[in-house]
Amino acid sequence: MAWHDADSWLSRSFGPYLSTILLAAFVSVALPLLLHLYIYRKTAPTSLPAFLLIGPSGAGKTALLTLLERGNPSPTHTSQAPLSVEITLPSDTAAASNKYRSASDPTAQKNSRFLLIDTPGHGKLRHFASAQLVAPQNLKGIIYLVDAANLSSDSAGVSGSSSSGLTEAAEYLHDILLALQKRYTNTKTSKGPGETPVLIAANKMDLFTALPAPLVKAALEAEITRVRDTRAKGLLDSGIGMDEDGDREERDWLGDGGEGKFTFKQMEEVNVVVEVKGGNVVGGQGGEVGEWWEWISRQL
Amino acid sequence: MLDSFEILSTSGVVLWSKTYVPVGANIVNSLIRDVFIEERTKPAADDGAGSKPMYKKEGYTLKWTTAKDLGLIFVAVYQSLVHLTWIDKLLDNVRALFTELYKDQLRQPYTSAVDCPFDDYFDRQVQELEKTADRTATRPFEPTPTVEFTPPSSSGTDNGPDAPPPMPGLRKAPQKSVYSDTTSTDATPVPTPETSRPASPAVSHLLTAKGGPPRASRRAKKKASATSAPQSSGDESPAHRMRDKKAAAKKGARKWDDFGMMDEDSTDNLDYSTTDLAGSTDAPAAVEAIDSASWGKRTGKGEFVLKDLDEEMDSILANAGAKKASSEPASGIVGSSLGAVSGLFRNVVGGKTLTKEDLAKPLKEMEDHLLRKNVAREAAVRLCESVERNLIGLKTGSFTSVDQTIQTAMESALTKILTPTSSLDLLREIQAVTAPNPLNPLAAPRPYVLSIVGVNGVGKSTNLSKICYFLLQNKYRVLVAAGDTFRSGAVEQLRVHVRNLSELSAREGGSVELFERGYGKDAANIAADAVAYAAANAFDVVLIDTAGRRHNDARLMSSLEKFAKLARPDKILMVAEALVGSDSVAQAQNFNAAFGAGRRLDGFVISKCDTVGDMVGTLVSMVHATGVPVVFLGTGQHYGDLRGLNVKWATRLLMS
Repeated sequence: MAWHDADSWLSRSFGPYLSTILLAAFVSVALPLLLHLYIYRKTAPTSLPAFLLIGPSGAGKTALLTLLERGNPSPTHTSQAPLSVEITLPSDTAAASNKYRSASDPTAQKNSRFLLIDTPGHGKLRHFASAQLVAPQNLKGIIYLVDAANLSSDSAGVSGSSSSGLTEAAEYLHDILLALQKRYTNTKTSKGPGETPVLIAANKMDLFTALPAPLVKAALEAEITRVRDTRAKGLLDSGIGMDEDGDREERDWLGDGGEGKFTFKQMEEVNVVVEVKGGNVVGGQGGEVGEWWEWISRQL
Repeated sequence: MLDSFEILSTSGVVLWSKTYVPVGANIVNSLIRDVFIEERTKPAADDGAGSKPMYKKEGYTLKWTTAKDLGLIFVAVYQSLVHLTWIDKLLDNVRALFTELYKDQLRQPYTSAVDCPFDDYFDRQVQELEKTADRTATRPFEPTPTVEFTPPSSSGTDNGPDAPPPMPGLRKAPQKSVYSDTTSTDATPVPTPETSRPASPAVSHLLTAKGGPPRASRRAKKKASATSAPQSSGDESPAHRMRDKKAAAKKGARKWDDFGMMDEDSTDNLDYSTTDLAGSTDAPAAVEAIDSASWGKRTGKGEFVLKDLDEEMDSILANAGAKKASSEPASGIVGSSLGAVSGLFRNVVGGKTLTKEDLAKPLKEMEDHLLRKNVAREAAVRLCESVERNLIGLKTGSFTSVDQTIQTAMESALTKILTPTSSLDLLREIQAVTAPNPLNPLAAPRPYVLSIVGVNGVGKSTNLSKICYFLLQNKYRVLVAAGDTFRSGAVEQLRVHVRNLSELSAREGGSVELFERGYGKDAANIAADAVAYAAANAFDVVLIDTAGRRHNDARLMSSLEKFAKLARPDKILMVAEALVGSDSVAQAQNFNAAFGAGRRLDGFVISKCDTVGDMVGTLVSMVHATGVPVVFLGTGQHYGDLRGLNVKWATRLLMS
């Protein structure tokens, strides 16, 4: 039976038969549906909005995580592994996207949940955090936690070789901001990655030696300026020049031009908004994290 | 005696802890830092078969065990003076119990909280193990008086274990006689819930209240923990204890406000129903179960309840033991071949639980691969061991084979080793030392002293001049001290370098001078003179060259100690060539130990990296042997061929 016979499947598929019509109707209805499902299943965000919690070791990241999750901080030790925890906003703070929503709207609850990703702050384990920065999943913001009681700059000169708390905090923050800037400048699409808000949470405000938030900001900015200067003058990485695929530029600057005084305002050019707020996780009368909650709710 | 026992997750959250004597958090932190993260101290262990590793810090001894698949670490802390033989067994039993009881909760994603009323199990274990241990030895105290035998299930004595425990030192050993006594002291702190509730008929006879219907309530408890209802989260021991203390303290001062309502923070004191729920029963059905159990039957059955707890514990432990036993031998030909087939399948699809046998062959291959990359054998073996330790008991991810799993594990192990703990910004350090500090006028500016040591012919002088060039480009005034007073031509070599460098840097603004005292003098004195000269003439940096010395010649190495004492360098860098093979470990270790107590190497300069291609294993060997980071790499013949280490680059070369 050749293809041009009246009974061949090709002829039947063009003929006025009921089966053909049904099949055609089915395909014409089902194809758009399947396409829709296929495309939208892929792009729909299946994950909750996420916040990344980073900072040097001992700043209180894991304690803050448990505080936000349970309402009271649990005792913690040095982290070795990242931890994601699902957290619901407290009832007195509403997510920014819920501003025009009725309080009795049942979907309002959905928008007040988010993931908080805790990363280890130890120098050898920071690759967890940088991996999260490179390939973020619905990342809404970054909380950089610093120990405000460990930022006094006078300890820097005394012991030259051991880096003080301020230096460590500034260098880590410098690396994070540089990674964010690189993500922005290296983007291929015209849209670019969305705005990345960064909260510098100055922790341990309950301690006597803690610097207030504006001073924390000033100290970090000054220290980042210094870090940027020495980085600019420092040696090249071994990766550059010895690479076959090394077509990247020789060095990256943080902020505009990499000269003069660094301020967090310069980061707004690359869609990174930095805010500094104080608080404390533990303390005499419990934690004081209202400002941080408020910041989180604004990003949701 | 046992000071503290903690169960923490790898993400740093303390899930459960029991403290007999307060121990600073830094003790456990340093355990995690030194042993788990930096792997600096090899755990002093393996004195006997199956003995747990131990770690000593500030007079404490820490023993630990881990549950890899759940990411748990169990740590026991006790004074080093006390010799406790039963800690190993305790760790094993607690691990088996805890993982079995709460594994469902631990597996839950996106939460850090585990609701674990584990106190009773733990106390019981300690009690049992102590009994089996030598009882004749005089012990300062019994850590767990009989009070805490009370099952958490019985509603009346729910608060018993959480009530402030009596001072252990005050309690004497005789147990049976104290029994009724302890129960009464146990119940007195919280008598109100019982008197207020009509359900408990015999308040006077406290033993009655003690013996709850164990089975039903235990089940209810499990249910409560499984659902992790908001009330049951209050059952978490530290919080609960605190609340109870508060309750005891606040009892007299109940406040009523203007509207006749109670003050807010005292509500949970009055709300006895919730504490009841939190402790024992979650659903009304469970309450029913308690009521239906005949109260009369329970009189004087305190002992029976204890047995029940024991039984549950024993069965869990026996199960764990049986599981271990059954997993070891493969039964018969059919069983083994089936196992082999499913193992092959699993290898492709993933989800295979890794055992030592699975890992042996791929790890051997990995070791050979590392050896081909010029990693010293010792370092390669240690790396493979650490990867094996990390992987045993883990499940492979979906669609990843064992080889791939090992590959990624090795990559992360290499990254972890090569990544320095602190920053290596040399310019910042020089700045901190030389610049006058307005906040701290006592620390007067002084020259930054950097010295270079190493074996003969590895390129000490060359790398010194490269570093000098780098500093000159940053407009520092540099003094080069010729500390090699032994080899002919060493001073002349440096003089040529200095002449070249000063010509090169004349335009850029740096300046360099040579400090030399000829041959045959003591190098340490010359170095000290050079530092004094530099301080007097406002130099920023002093670079001290030293004579090359064989690392296993004790006479030559001993002069380094004096050198470190006199010149007091801010940084001692050791130059090693990338060509060196398995000798690198010994070199690094000997030089690291040569500067006397309290002074170590600060970094390595690995020279001749351009000559080895991708065989950069020396990096790993040196760092692994000492924990000292690699600061610079020499990558060519020119003054500018000095690089910092890029960890990603090195890892990629090693794994390629």
